[in-house]
Amino acid sequence: MVRVTLDNISKFFGKVRAVVDLNLEIDDGEFVAFLGPSGCGKTTTLLMVAGIYRPSRGRILFDNEDVTDLPPKDRNIGMVFQSYALYPHMSVYDNIAFPLKLKKEPQREIDKKVREIARLLRIDELLDRKPAQLSGGQKQRVALGRALVKEPDVLLLDEPLSNLDAQLRILMRAEIKRLQKELRITTIYVTHDQVEAMTMADRIAVMNKGRLQQYADPQTLYNKPANIFVASFIGSPPMNLIEGELEAPDDNSVFFVSSGIKLKLPNVPPNVAKDGQREVVLGVRPEDLQMVGPGDADKEETLEGSIYVVEPLGKEFLINVQVGDHVLKMLVPADGMPEAGQRIRIRPNFSKIHLFDKKSQKALL
Amino acid sequence: MGRTGEDIRKRIARARLERMMVIAVVILVAVVPAIPIWLMYGWIISQSFSGKVILGILPTDLTLDNWRFLWSPIKMGEKEYPNIWPITINTLALALTVSGLVVFVSSLSGYALSRMEFKGRTALMQFIIALHAFPSVILLIALFVILNKLGLYGKGFVTLVGIALIKAGLEIPMATWIIKGFFDNIPWDLEWAALVDGASRWKVWRTVILPLVLPGIAAVSIFSFLSGWSEFLLVFTYVAQEEYYTLPVMIYYMIGEFIHIDWGMLAALGLFYAIPTLIFFSVSQKVLLRIYVGGVKG
Amino acid sequence: MAKKIRRWILPLLFLTPLFIMIGLAWVSPLALTVYLGFTDLSIRNFLAFIQDFFTDKVSLTLDNFRRIFTAEDPNIPLTLKVTVLYVVSVLAINAFYALVLSLAIAFFVRNEVLSMILRITWLLPRITPGIIYALMWIWFIDPRNGLLNDMLRLMGVPEDLLPDSWLLRTPYSQLLMIMINGYVGASFGMIVYTAAIKSIPTDLINASYVDGANEFQAARRVIIPLLKWPMLFVTAWQTLSLLSSYEYILMVWGAGSGQGYGIARSAGVMVWSLYSYSKAFAEYLYGYASALSLILVIIGIVLIVLYFKIFGFRRMMEPSKVEV
Repeated sequence: MVRVTLDNISKFFGKVRAVVDLNLEIDDGEFVAFLGPSGCGKTTTLLMVAGIYRPSRGRILFDNEDVTDLPPKDRNIGMVFQSYALYPHMSVYDNIAFPLKLKKEPQREIDKKVREIARLLRIDELLDRKPAQLSGGQKQRVALGRALVKEPDVLLLDEPLSNLDAQLRILMRAEIKRLQKELRITTIYVTHDQVEAMTMADRIAVMNKGRLQQYADPQTLYNKPANIFVASFIGSPPMNLIEGELEAPDDNSVFFVSSGIKLKLPNVPPNVAKDGQREVVLGVRPEDLQMVGPGDADKEETLEGSIYVVEPLGKEFLINVQVGDHVLKMLVPADGMPEAGQRIRIRPNFSKIHLFDKKSQKALL
Repeated sequence: MGRTGEDIRKRIARARLERMMVIAVVILVAVVPAIPIWLMYGWIISQSFSGKVILGILPTDLTLDNWRFLWSPIKMGEKEYPNIWPITINTLALALTVSGLVVFVSSLSGYALSRMEFKGRTALMQFIIALHAFPSVILLIALFVILNKLGLYGKGFVTLVGIALIKAGLEIPMATWIIKGFFDNIPWDLEWAALVDGASRWKVWRTVILPLVLPGIAAVSIFSFLSGWSEFLLVFTYVAQEEYYTLPVMIYYMIGEFIHIDWGMLAALGLFYAIPTLIFFSVSQKVLLRIYVGGVKG
Repeated sequence: MAKKIRRWILPLLFLTPLFIMIGLAWVSPLALTVYLGFTDLSIRNFLAFIQDFFTDKVSLTLDNFRRIFTAEDPNIPLTLKVTVLYVVSVLAINAFYALVLSLAIAFFVRNEVLSMILRITWLLPRITPGIIYALMWIWFIDPRNGLLNDMLRLMGVPEDLLPDSWLLRTPYSQLLMIMINGYVGASFGMIVYTAAIKSIPTDLINASYVDGANEFQAARRVIIPLLKWPMLFVTAWQTLSLLSSYEYILMVWGAGSGQGYGIARSAGVMVWSLYSYSKAFAEYLYGYASALSLILVIIGIVLIVLYFKIFGFRRMMEPSKVEV
């Protein structure tokens, strides 16, 4: 097992800057997810760790040893590709045995390891088949088997579940996580699906446009997003983001002002508002908004609006509320039936609101 | 496995060595054997502009003398050859006729094969592919008899027309197949939409489909033009009178002047003749490549 | 009823020109070759035959085939030998050398520009008009003006191994024949193979690197096995076309008098199809020449039927498709 360090790496394809100045440390045995929209540079980064791409700048270290110039075959990595990339002309057995054959391991050793890993992944019945005769889930397991059979130091997974149907995906999610914990292999998992990343990874590196946005464990990412991109990307339904200004009329109160909205923010220290005025984006998650009765709260700390549409989600309702010129989404327990057009008063959970600077996009709290 | 710095440096060195071996293979397989090709082209270009070349490709002087065939009669050794321009026109006429015929016939039949249901359609397609695979040069003798039978042999320009007919006929299976491919790529609903709008099938063909297969037609016409322009065997075999030669046949006879051979003029004439091909090819390289894959040539 | 008529009238209308052209250029000469192979048509009775197809001056005979199969024609054994040499060695270049060449150009070379330069270089012999290609070779091998002998000298080939004439001395002439056709033929395989290599998903090749393969191993164990069908296709297609191709041989060795008959034979480059051509157009023995051709026609038909069986319809048309 090994600790992977990305030391200020960049990758350019001609004029396209796929990855820019990325610094990242992945601990021994850790499960890290690279999360971001397509084209954010996550797969490029993975391929650099694999050694298939050479970084345009920067170094890659395995346990403090510089492996930047080391070809993939010498890095002792296992990789599962989005397309599985099983060799179509080889049987399942030969696919899994391929890395061992290239290592010139003795035939008996190869046979033993292939059967062992096949049993572990429950594909021992399929060893004689060709990839074309396998279902998506089976191909997935074979690809995993081929990656694991040589006991890699690092396991790289590139969107491994994206070609599976929803049910199988949940199943494989748990299985991969179990395998990883059992084998304690340093693992990098590339995905655009935040649920996958949140449920499986120890830490998540959120990327956008080739740059690292935030690198933290799932809870931190959710509770303390470092910038607007992370805030909007993580969480479903997504966080409400409202552009507006901060005003501090006196030394001990701060107001958030936007078209049709004026909200007192009791937890925000006035110095955040700088010279009494600052362009910001206010973020509130749908579950951090609640309905309040007329006398239940300080009026300045609530917003008034009318219900625009109600989406029942079973356990909860997702209510779209028109407040001023904005539509906010809020999650409420599913009791009673709020009606469209009904006027309501809502109050954010002020300990869980987020404020971002509009210009730098960074979190202020 | 070992992962000391020493070990890694060794592996990197090994990888460099392997890469160098790969480069060596590339040089040995793809570059060294390509040298004659480069030399030949280098020679024909520099020789055509120079009275004397050394080391094959280095011109010693610069002259247009080798290009004199463009404005004066051609003499090589004792023999006087026909003026270049009528011969060029023969070549051009042959190529254009072939091209026109091929485009006309193959766009009609390509459409029918792609869009119409009729009995024996599959069999016809298989037959066309079989013809496409069949080497046509074997038929030269029988075609000679047919040309005679049709009274097209030894009739000067009429013979050239006969040759164009035959050449076009030989090219048509492949051309039909290519154009059919282009028709296949047009979505059906486009045609249906036009039919629903009340247009006749003929009108549909002219106004809706044709513009969409125009790239295919362009490719086929360029390809058949080039193949007519390069045609050697049919003209060489069937045309007896000098004034109805085409450029390749005349060049062939000039090469035969072993003792009196004028390399400079031959190079210039050869370049003159090859230039349209090279220009056409570089312009439409991509499409033509696709066609050459299925080509019967070679 | 009217509908029924329209159903086949319209296709017929569109296909009539095709039928006429195919009839003229393919069907009738094929049939005629079969017929002529069994006649004694030659310059003696040719005019009578042209005037009247059923003239009694042309008689049916099996003589042609007797002379071929009993080798009564003294040229047959040598022609056969040269043909086998020609087809087998050029085929080796077209199918196997082209494979290595394509791997080099489309896989080993990573620089796009260099790859394209090499590809275009190797295509040049094919796109150049045949006679110009022949002209360049004739210059290149010329012992006095050309470069080939000089190049070989430079590479350390001893003087007494260099021929005074590449055209006339066997086995140099045969080597030359193979090279001239090989350079053109290699590009056929190259086009098919490079297209096939480019269609292999990058993931598959990357997977082999991650699994521990170097570039040679990736080529040998992943790429080449995937090119099985393209290779078979190139071999099949080229076998057929080589059996009958003689254009370049005619252009290079036929220059001068005798319409390619005398010099090609003494140079040992008289292949079967060229022999047939010479019999017809240098000796005017049309019947005998047709019999020689007919043998190629029959081989051709048998091979094509065989190919349809092996490849099926789809693969015949998409030779570069890799099944992944």
